Amino acid sequence: MIALIRTLLRKELLDASRDKRSVMAGLYYAIGTPVLMCLLFAVLLQQLSSNDELYIHIDNAEAGPALVQYLANRDILHGDESKARAIRLSLADNFEQQMQQGRPATVILDADHSDDRLLSSIRRIERALGRYNSEVAQLRLMARGIDPALMQPVAVQIHDQATPDSRGGMFLGIATLTIILTLFYAAMNLAIDTSAGERERNSLTLLLSQPLLSWQLVIAKVLAITSFSMLGLVVILLVSKFAYGLVPWEQLGFTIRLNADFMVFTLLIGLPLALLSASLQVLVSFLAKSFKEAQTYVTMVLFIPLTLSMVTTYNIATDYVQWLPIAAQQQAMIEYLKGSALPLPQLLVSTLLTLLLVVVFSYGSSRLLKSEKVVFGL
Amino acid sequence: MLKVTDLYKKIGDVQALNGLSFQAENGTITGLLGPNGAGKTTCLRTLFGLLQADRGQAEIDGMDIARQPLQARKQLGLFPDPFGLYERLTPREYLEFFAGINGMATADAREATAQVLQVLQMDDIADRRCQGFSQGQRMKVALAQSIVHQPTNIVLDEPTRGLDVMSTRVLRELLLRLKQQGHCVLFSSHVMQEVAALCDQVVVMAKGRVLAQGTPAELCASTGKNNLEEAFIALIGTDEGIAA
Repeated sequence: MIALIRTLLRKELLDASRDKRSVMAGLYYAIGTPVLMCLLFAVLLQQLSSNDELYIHIDNAEAGPALVQYLANRDILHGDESKARAIRLSLADNFEQQMQQGRPATVILDADHSDDRLLSSIRRIERALGRYNSEVAQLRLMARGIDPALMQPVAVQIHDQATPDSRGGMFLGIATLTIILTLFYAAMNLAIDTSAGERERNSLTLLLSQPLLSWQLVIAKVLAITSFSMLGLVVILLVSKFAYGLVPWEQLGFTIRLNADFMVFTLLIGLPLALLSASLQVLVSFLAKSFKEAQTYVTMVLFIPLTLSMVTTYNIATDYVQWLPIAAQQQAMIEYLKGSALPLPQLLVSTLLTLLLVVVFSYGSSRLLKSEKVVFGL
Repeated sequence: MLKVTDLYKKIGDVQALNGLSFQAENGTITGLLGPNGAGKTTCLRTLFGLLQADRGQAEIDGMDIARQPLQARKQLGLFPDPFGLYERLTPREYLEFFAGINGMATADAREATAQVLQVLQMDDIADRRCQGFSQGQRMKVALAQSIVHQPTNIVLDEPTRGLDVMSTRVLRELLLRLKQQGHCVLFSSHVMQEVAALCDQVVVMAKGRVLAQGTPAELCASTGKNNLEEAFIALIGTDEGIAA
């Protein structure tokens, strides 16, 4: 029986490995995604850490030279139309006068707060204005012989426990998302080809006329597709290691380092997922009546792992979701990269769940192969 | 030996098999002759256990296909319609694979494959991928596949369709050789000529049941006609769906 499955597996591997287009389509994903992400991260990092000069419109600057100088010291400057962002700071005409009299002097900050690209600049100006406020207030109090500490009833001390590596939450999420989804996308074409394709080419009926049981056939197919998923995983890990090494992480004070330990860990927790991916795609392909229908269905079904992975990436997983396949594995990868404690109970439960689903899906496929309707595509 | 007894099978609304019974002996070439839609392919698929009969049974060397599918199938070689080749494999890989899943150890499978490649004079195409093969070359691969594991029974579904003269001759010679070696050969066809030329026994079927069975001469005698074609038309009552 082992010999029979080995013979079937050898044929599946040989046949699939010669399907160059399908193999390459899978590998394009594994090679291309980290490179794209690397570029995306570089752009994002630049945006997040851009503490360069900020040009805005400052109207009536001559009314408050001290304030304008204060802002300029913090690289917030007046720029002309071409340079300045769509933020306008207007000083009231009586600004200087009000300041001298110790009354509130009006400054109008005019900008579209719903524009996400402006938001960090607006916050930066607000912070600078806030600090100017408190500095001037402290001076006024001292001039009147009052201890400025009175103005600070609570001394808030913030101890940031974030380590450099734990800061890159979103980046880690996206990096692990692309890695884990490889298991589902790398062998998609092969999975469809070996099931719906085999039926369409009429070799399925011939195979089922041979002295073998349908579950043996399903196991061989699932194992073959799993091998290609794992190949995709190895490729994306290697490419990611190289690509993420090029991202200028230092700007944000954390790095994504994919060391050998992490790769071995990912391969280990990825193996059950690869089996899940293979058995799911084979089942869906057999359920479809034709090759094209299988492509549509498989693409649709792959939204499920995508959703589970997205939920983990953006850290919006509910307590239940954290125990589910894909989500738990991805969370474990993220924690591993952060150097935090692994969510072992979740990982264990979800791995068992994953394997249970593999059995259920494979059993489903072998049941389908006993159905005349499915085999003959009736 | 192949034997079907009182087979009934309904596919959708069509009663494809309607009490079909016949027997094909070892050392004999039996032709299953019937017009298009007579139930020939359904009959063969049931014989292989791909379809389950609603009633009746199909036996291979005395083994019921429904009860002992694995043992029974080891004694069956199938030449299917369509062939079901793997385009990306070479004939040698294809044949070794089928020998393997029929229980042959790797070394035995390799030897059996080499042998059958030689018998069918396929050495020149043995290591080329099937992609791009001519119809004749494809037929040879399918034929080799059906005999590589040396089954006692060989079943061919419409084997001569689309073949040129040379390929038909290769097929015919092989079937005669299998017969001499004592194999049971059953093939379905709607081509009168090849049935008349090859078969020792003819089973005439239409609408899912057997109308007559016997040697070509017996069929002619029983219908009072002087050739098989006339006898056949007399038996099924129409010449619809028959190629001369």
